[in-house]
Amino acid sequence: MSVAPLRQSNAFHSDPKFGRLLLVSLIVHGLIWVAFSFDLFGTNTRPKPPIYYVDLIHKPVLNPQAGRPDPRPAKKPQAAPVKPTAQTVTPAVPKPEVKPAVKPQVKPATVAKPKPVTKPIVKADTRKDQKVQSALDEIRERQARKDAREAMKDKIAKLAASTSVAATVPADVPVGSLDGSGDEVGSAHVDFVRTVIQENWVLSPYLIDQARIADIEAKATLVYSAAGKLMSFRINAPSGNQQFDDSLKRAITKSEQLPQPLPQDLELVVTFNLKDIAAARR
Amino acid sequence: MLLRWFIVLFVCCALPWSALAATEIEISSPGEQSIPLALTEFLPSEGVPSAQISGELNEVLVADLDLSGLFRFVDPGAFLDDAKLIGLYSTQVNFPQWRMLGSETLIKGTYSLQGEKLIVEARLFDVVNRRLLTGRRYVGEPKDVRRMAHAFADLVLKELTGEEGPFSARIAYISDKSGDKELWLMDVDGKRPVRLTNHRSIVLNPDFSPRGKEILFTSYRANNPDLYRKEIYSGKEAKVSYKQGLNVAGRMAPSEREIALTLSKDGNPEIYLIGTSGQVRKRITDNWGIDSDPSWSPDGSRLAFVSNRQGNPHVFIADIFSGKTERLTTRGKYNATPAWGPKGERIAFTRQEGGRFDVYTIKIDGTDERRLTFGPGNSEHPRWSPDGRFIIYSSDKGGNRVIYVMRADGTGSRRLTTLESDSRHPAWSPRW
Repeated sequence: MSVAPLRQSNAFHSDPKFGRLLLVSLIVHGLIWVAFSFDLFGTNTRPKPPIYYVDLIHKPVLNPQAGRPDPRPAKKPQAAPVKPTAQTVTPAVPKPEVKPAVKPQVKPATVAKPKPVTKPIVKADTRKDQKVQSALDEIRERQARKDAREAMKDKIAKLAASTSVAATVPADVPVGSLDGSGDEVGSAHVDFVRTVIQENWVLSPYLIDQARIADIEAKATLVYSAAGKLMSFRINAPSGNQQFDDSLKRAITKSEQLPQPLPQDLELVVTFNLKDIAAARR
Repeated sequence: MLLRWFIVLFVCCALPWSALAATEIEISSPGEQSIPLALTEFLPSEGVPSAQISGELNEVLVADLDLSGLFRFVDPGAFLDDAKLIGLYSTQVNFPQWRMLGSETLIKGTYSLQGEKLIVEARLFDVVNRRLLTGRRYVGEPKDVRRMAHAFADLVLKELTGEEGPFSARIAYISDKSGDKELWLMDVDGKRPVRLTNHRSIVLNPDFSPRGKEILFTSYRANNPDLYRKEIYSGKEAKVSYKQGLNVAGRMAPSEREIALTLSKDGNPEIYLIGTSGQVRKRITDNWGIDSDPSWSPDGSRLAFVSNRQGNPHVFIADIFSGKTERLTTRGKYNATPAWGPKGERIAFTRQEGGRFDVYTIKIDGTDERRLTFGPGNSEHPRWSPDGRFIIYSSDKGGNRVIYVMRADGTGSRRLTTLESDSRHPAWSPRW
């Protein structure tokens, strides 16, 4: 009874058409896979906007004061660029022109003796001053250009130094960390999820047999969608302590919706233990 | 040939999935170490509402659960309308409302007073998983309302920690409230004190039998410090040991077949084992020093006691079968009143430093010594709760010597007895 189907199957495999069909099918599937994975149709040409996760509470910040509004330093840089233009245009010329026009009219009425004395002196001095002033302006201008060149050089040197530091930083350092590279590749979405779960994990260490605190451990697998929704979870390796495992379930349930979406679907294997508490008690 | 193609196909299919490999992370401490608990007011299910009953239920539950140190109470002022609704079943509770308040656990309950019959129903809910964790229906008289609340607090601890609480137990102690130093019994929150003896002399050193039916104590009633035993429920009393000299610090073995105590019948105080009828079975110590205050290990194989055989009083541990004795404490000039913890890992004792006594605990291998009490006054006579979570002791830091309770790590200390009378030598009963 068992020989007949065996023969039939041999006859089926010996059919040359089957092999060709299978080959064609595989090639077609392979081409489809290559087309989609290497984006040959250009469907995914539009770059996704980068998402950065920054834990402002737990992660160190390089310069915490950077964001504080301070009116004084803000005014200074505005005044600085104006100065050179003012200096170049500052001919004290308008002043002497205005003075003779106004002062003679005022003088007879006010009878101010010192003023007529000062006028001719001013007029004579302004011509000389103009020359001196223009010379001084030229010198200042040169100095300013020099300073600008030096500042530019310093800036370039600093940039070069910072890029060399960045080159030494590992590529996977997350954004939000002190040494973060700042690109999406290194964004700390895993750290972000970890923080959310930890914040939702409530457990008194007194619930656990004190002798077991250093050893107790459980593992859970969590699958999040890109929208930040918990799709599924399972406790892979329970601790054996009912209270500990229940607290994990509560923490995971409370973390069913993340406050931010994720760059992609995420499967996490989370190891829960109390090593930090045990270390603190030692 | 076909197999090769299948392998190629498998590799092609597996490649894209390899990008979704699971990421491993470790979380090595919880974000919060106290469980947020909402405790609603107990509501009358039928009959006349009684503010006293509902108030007492809440007061006892708050005091017990707060002493445990496991919970953070949600502010009752923030409760929404579900707190005013009876909800004994999970379908009747508005869990999202409680979760919005940040609560993870919820206690709801009702009572009904029908003549002299009081029925209390209490429930503990898991707010996050929207389920009933545990619940009980208690039937009794209005005077039992505190006992009902203590029992439910024990149940809450059992459900959330796996081990029942010690709040239904009672505390025996010596007080001069009646004028003489007599034996008294009170609840673990210091309420409902009851006098057990009327010896009109000096009563000392009470200790419960492991099953909690009897109390051993020493009394000078017959002008000699003799050891007595007293049945708690019947009130019957009998002398156990009345040898010449000291018959003090009697502690019943976990098997309840033997009593360890200090006898000075031969002149020098030594530790002996006697039968429950008083006959001497074994001498544990034999040296020139004073040996006293025995305390049984939970397995009944060893005794911790105080001895000055090496100069200053220190705590020693003796194996009752081999007779081998080891010194436990090495620091301080005066160590006394050891009490072996119910878990067997630590021993509580007192040490005099700077002219005053404080409570310490130490591991039985002599390591990890911790001082638990600080501040003015003498803190003495530490004893463990049956679950090992708490320690009771007497202290004169407030003037008169009174009984205090604290967590086993020294936190959450609170006074149990009033300052008007002198109270000392507390002993926590087993669970009743």
